[in-house]
Amino acid sequence: MTPMVDVAFLLLIFFMSTTQFKPPEQVAVQLPLSRSEIHVPETGTIILTVNRTGQMFISSESGRDIQELAPDNVLDAIVNWRGRNPSAVVVVKGDRDAPFGTMADLMDALAEAKTLRFNLMTDLRRRQPPGSGSGPAAQTPRDGQ
Amino acid sequence: MTEAPAAENGKPNKRGKGPLGRAKRKRVGVRIDMTPMVDVAFLLLIFFMVTTVFRRPLAMEVNMPEPGAKVEVPESNVLTVYIDRDEQLFAKVGKADPEPVTWDDLAPSFAAGVAANPDLIILVKISREARYEPMVDMMDLLEDAHMERFSLIPMKEADEQALEQFR
Repeated sequence: MTPMVDVAFLLLIFFMSTTQFKPPEQVAVQLPLSRSEIHVPETGTIILTVNRTGQMFISSESGRDIQELAPDNVLDAIVNWRGRNPSAVVVVKGDRDAPFGTMADLMDALAEAKTLRFNLMTDLRRRQPPGSGSGPAAQTPRDGQ
Repeated sequence: MTEAPAAENGKPNKRGKGPLGRAKRKRVGVRIDMTPMVDVAFLLLIFFMVTTVFRRPLAMEVNMPEPGAKVEVPESNVLTVYIDRDEQLFAKVGKADPEPVTWDDLAPSFAAGVAANPDLIILVKISREARYEPMVDMMDLLEDAHMERFSLIPMKEADEQALEQFR
């Protein structure tokens, strides 16, 4: 049995040392909740992050190439990134406390960049549908702006 | 080694007692077969390796119309929901005055509105000073109510002022 245990440990150590964990997120985002259960593709995504103060960032799914966007070059950046990877899925990762005005401008920029299909990243809301109890707003704790 | 013959079969007998009368036990080498345990351990390891799915982020899908696309809709077919800068909800049908509503009222009023008028279109006007969360809540609610077609636009200054008097 010793050789088998040797091999097992070898494999264990190999996988332990080669595993790369997801890098810690550079931008802290508390996602809004929804009942949608569509998964974001693992690769080939362009992630537009908006934090709670409304700062915008663009990155790929790994987050290593993250760069901050000024409000007036959002459109250029989206066009540029879409040009480099035309089949990429655009995912908007907005903080639940981000100002709606910023998000509206971002969505306008996406529409202008001919990105009419995109995803809004959300966390799963594991509760009953509204109407049979309290509505969405009543269930999500409001931490003031 | 003197008491070895007495304890040979693992049972101490009277002659094997020590000076304090305690039985001196000859240790017996115990061999436990570990193979079945290792089998089970590997089985579990492989089972969890194969069935593990890492938590992937979830998303809602959004399909926007072409920019500049205009759809003319009679005002009587429009149910307008306002979310003001304090994230209070107001709703109106057609040209009626906006009335304050709660999140709980919305789903039944959508259902009632569609029952009364199958061509009903929902227009959601959100103040730019509101947060992003009520927008997602609203989209979620509309999806739950099977209203996949709706408009979502930021409120204009005039809307904000018009809402003031209905608070």
